[in-house]
Amino acid sequence: MDFKVENIEEIFSGEVIKKLSSDEYLIRIQDKEHQLQILNINSNKMEFVLDNQFHSVRYIENQTAEMKIVLDGTSITINMHTHLDDIVYKNSGGADTGNAQLNLRSQIPGKVVSINVSEGNEVKKDDVVCVLESMKMQVSIKSHKDGKIKSVKIKEGNSVNKNDIIAEIE
Amino acid sequence: MHSNKINEFLDKKKSATQGGGQDRIKAQHDKGKLTARERINLLLDEGSFVEIDALTTHHYHEYEMQKKKFYNDGVVGGYGTIHNRQVYVFAYDFTILGGTLSQMGAKKITKLMDHATRNGCPIVGIADSGGARIQEGILSLDGFADIFYHNELASGVVPQITASIGPSAGGAVYSPAMTDFVIMVDKAATMFVTGPDVVKTVLGEDVSFDELGGAMTHGTKSGVAHFVAQNEYECMDYIKTLLSYIPQNSTEEPPKIQSDDDPNRLDHNLINLKPEDSLKPYDMKPVILSILDNNNFFEIHELFAQNVIVGFGRMNGRTVGIVANQPMYLAGALDIDSSNKAARFIRFCDSYGIPIITLVDTPGYMPGTNQEHNGIIRHGSKLLYSYCEATVPKITIVIGKAYGGAYIAMGSKNLRTDINYAWPTAQIAVLGSEGAVKIMNRKELANSDDPEALKKQLVDEFTEKFANPYVAASHGTIDTVIDPAETRPMLIKALEMLSNKRDKQLPRKHGNINL
Amino acid sequence: MIEKVLIANRGEIALRVIKTCKALGIKTVAVFSDEDRNSLHVKNATESYYIGEAAPAKSYLNQEKILDVMLSSGTDAVHPGYGFLSENDDFARLCEKNKINFIGPSADSMNLCGDKMRCKEAMLKAKVPTVPGSPDLTKDAVDAEKIANDIGYPVMLKSVYGGGGRGIRIVNTDQELRDAYETVTAESIAAVGKSAIIVEKFLEKTRHIEYQMCRDQHGNAVHLFERECSIQRRNQKLIEQTPSPVVDKAKREEIGELVVKAAEAVDYTNLGTAEFLRADNGEFYFIEINARLQVEHPISEMVSGLDFVKLQLDIANGEPLPFKQSDLKMNGYAIECRINAEDTFLDFAPSTGPIPDVTIPSGPNVRCDTYLYPGCTVSPFYDSLMAKLCTWGQTYEESRLRMLNALNDFYIQGVETSIPLYKTILKTDEYKNGQLSTDFLKRYDMINRLKEDIKNEIKEKQLPATAAAIMYSEFFHSKVQSSNRTNSNWKTHG
Repeated sequence: MDFKVENIEEIFSGEVIKKLSSDEYLIRIQDKEHQLQILNINSNKMEFVLDNQFHSVRYIENQTAEMKIVLDGTSITINMHTHLDDIVYKNSGGADTGNAQLNLRSQIPGKVVSINVSEGNEVKKDDVVCVLESMKMQVSIKSHKDGKIKSVKIKEGNSVNKNDIIAEIE
Repeated sequence: MHSNKINEFLDKKKSATQGGGQDRIKAQHDKGKLTARERINLLLDEGSFVEIDALTTHHYHEYEMQKKKFYNDGVVGGYGTIHNRQVYVFAYDFTILGGTLSQMGAKKITKLMDHATRNGCPIVGIADSGGARIQEGILSLDGFADIFYHNELASGVVPQITASIGPSAGGAVYSPAMTDFVIMVDKAATMFVTGPDVVKTVLGEDVSFDELGGAMTHGTKSGVAHFVAQNEYECMDYIKTLLSYIPQNSTEEPPKIQSDDDPNRLDHNLINLKPEDSLKPYDMKPVILSILDNNNFFEIHELFAQNVIVGFGRMNGRTVGIVANQPMYLAGALDIDSSNKAARFIRFCDSYGIPIITLVDTPGYMPGTNQEHNGIIRHGSKLLYSYCEATVPKITIVIGKAYGGAYIAMGSKNLRTDINYAWPTAQIAVLGSEGAVKIMNRKELANSDDPEALKKQLVDEFTEKFANPYVAASHGTIDTVIDPAETRPMLIKALEMLSNKRDKQLPRKHGNINL
Repeated sequence: MIEKVLIANRGEIALRVIKTCKALGIKTVAVFSDEDRNSLHVKNATESYYIGEAAPAKSYLNQEKILDVMLSSGTDAVHPGYGFLSENDDFARLCEKNKINFIGPSADSMNLCGDKMRCKEAMLKAKVPTVPGSPDLTKDAVDAEKIANDIGYPVMLKSVYGGGGRGIRIVNTDQELRDAYETVTAESIAAVGKSAIIVEKFLEKTRHIEYQMCRDQHGNAVHLFERECSIQRRNQKLIEQTPSPVVDKAKREEIGELVVKAAEAVDYTNLGTAEFLRADNGEFYFIEINARLQVEHPISEMVSGLDFVKLQLDIANGEPLPFKQSDLKMNGYAIECRINAEDTFLDFAPSTGPIPDVTIPSGPNVRCDTYLYPGCTVSPFYDSLMAKLCTWGQTYEESRLRMLNALNDFYIQGVETSIPLYKTILKTDEYKNGQLSTDFLKRYDMINRLKEDIKNEIKEKQLPATAAAIMYSEFFHSKVQSSNRTNSNWKTHG
């Protein structure tokens, strides 16, 4: 299987070669073999020893396209089918990390205080698209890329939830 | 030894995976669509796919078809696991003759469906097809009919899920419609009985593919699509998540998981979610989220008939089906679409042993000629019928308004609901106070010097006397008026009590639900 | 003698005050809103009382309710913590009227300190240098504009009753001032219920250095050294440390004497903080007095060896200070990082929600004041401060290394935190060399450096991450199942 760790160009291919004992495995990553001993595992986390180093990992989310984990305290997203990404995102505009993403989504819940763009406007990356109020603080939602506002999905005075679409930017 | 034979085998095996050839595969990718095999790979656990009928071909000779023979003949199918659960899957292969269905393709699909019903495992179909293969004429249509027949055979026996990631036209749309859940991928899937060209010719109406039968159209207007996925990855995620809530077949219980969410968790904030002014709209979803394990709610038909909410959740690790009015839309009134949406969901839950929890806050049915002329009477009756028919554990909790026919329809006691709860804010009556007073005190109001003041007084009296849960409670149609903060633990206790429920329908061929 | 203290607060500070009281055998009374039913401060207090809905105005700011609880529980003293009612002189007066010992300054002194204009006057009289600014409250935006042009841009629009960084905006032009005027007013009203704006010169590349004030009810006053709190965002402190890299013994004494004078000038009693801005040329300018126990007090405790809450109780009990200025010595270096539930990349927008898991760092000279525990919730109704992580070292470098290590050990699941940002800051040469300033984040491009650090951190972990993904697939997406399909009704059914 191929694994692409976010933002890192090199894709690692890896698989289990064989099971050595009840809790030890021989795995291959890229061209090297490694010994992995599992100390405990369930669908939420695993503690293991890889090449004599202890690691602990929490499995946060597991979807078709990507897996989100926290390894030794660092949040990491692993994409497992990158070679298909271009095709899949062609029409729909992208995963959360893509620049091609059509939808600008809100990352926090809040009330729309002001909308600073309208349909047809040209915007640059980081231009303020709207301002939300959340817990007495005003937070500006900025455009994630250069482009043109295709449509605005929110109304002044309405509340938005985390991940709601704010606008479509082509 | 036998190296010739082995090589021949390996060659054929390789050809079988090529679909319609590299060019066709590239064309598919250029359109932003994955091939049938790529889709099956994304759906199933890595390495679990065992293909069946890989070497089938068509046997047709008209229209020089013998020159266009491809292995698999337009459908890739087999079995595998999704998160360790056995499933059957077939995917139309658009790269072979436009994914059109042939006699052999239909045979393959029905073979898999037979396996599914014999072995008690769900079946997932991925639609991406140009429809019937014209060259095969009637045989292709008969192939579809055979598939439809198998859909009916499997209906209620094993879950059937359709992912629509491409066109489905003409007769081909009926198979998805007969399955339990349909996921359409936005901007890729289209479903219609008659295409835009014919629409233009016959009616002179100009409409695009997407407008006529795209994912959003079916997700919001017609209700054909239960889920609208943004892309193929999301589509697969929907299928996997859906399967995690439902059992393999109708004799098994839905999967139970270890939940770390305290079944005795109280929520003192629930009562604050409902405004004191009963005319003020509010969002029912936070109420639903609060009572479910880990606030996880898998909503179904999210964009269709939004005045009612349906979906799966878990309580104490067990799957439950939620049906709830949504006061934010149409004030939570029931209408044709919402009656259909809820009734279909209830019948699925009943087929697969999933308990149903109903949350009520509805002022009644939508009035108007539109509703009446389109048959609110017929469609509304489906909701009543399906509640009565369901023998799974049923629990209803009245949160706010529950007036008249809508009170009855939303899982009231005498529809054989097992447990009926109400919040102190529940208002269970034949009519809202205003309406009731207008009718019952018509004479006094007409003869009064100050009708407004009198009306207000009468309305207040009526509200105090009737628009509360206590009258119902005094008759036992509400079993318990509960503290809103305890909603979750009370529901879970009822569910645990009902987990062994056994109830039967009278023997008959089948009922006659008003379709 | 105080026997029962009500803590009119929540979160980590309530817990911290309760811990000292408990250790000294003093009974404690906690109050809680709907959101805090399961909070640690409630669980640790001797008694606890429900006071209302989540919104602060309905609970922690509700003076009548709190007074009710104090009277019915027989409390003889109240500790207001920081924020909420801690600098509300109406509340202090209410307590005084009801013969409840308010652990802090008198209502009059608090009132004087809270009124930035009058306080400034008092400082000028005591010959404590202050920041150039408007002589009075501004009447409106036009008035403010005139004053701003007099003093010279850039200026700060400041709410006189603001606190904790709210109600402050820096503006560079007339247009910006006009735009910001309304926002500052609104934020101030939202935070403490009233508004009045002054204009102050904005000094660039300044360092925020404050002094711990301490004065008993007999007029004995000392300072308990300085703290440098330069690293901030939106005028709220992120990292504090003591001693300050730019304050030597002589300067410490010089400003320290001014601080004592300041305390006397406003007749301050109990513990408080005098805040200064140090300009690039070394000049110190008084900004304001915080008439309460400060968030960052633990670092001063670490270098002085004292328990400030105990000191507060003693002073409130009328005891004279047990030491003179000459008895007090600083030992070592301490740093505090405010661990906030915020998304650094989203302009520090608050991040809230349940916390399924948390690992709190510990070890020699590591202190963490926090209300977190696995299963708790970070509420959207209150401050984003989840924990104060403090470390001590014999040297500045030792303290810094301990902090880096403790940050690495700190794991909070469920919200975005400022932990990665602090790790990046603490690793920079600029921080190591003590090149602190209030514009540290911007000046040294911290956000981009944070992105780099995260990228590198992930790169280092690519191999074990891949291994983790491989094993997950192996276990939970297995090709052939070692027969888990056992008890199925299917076969026997029908």
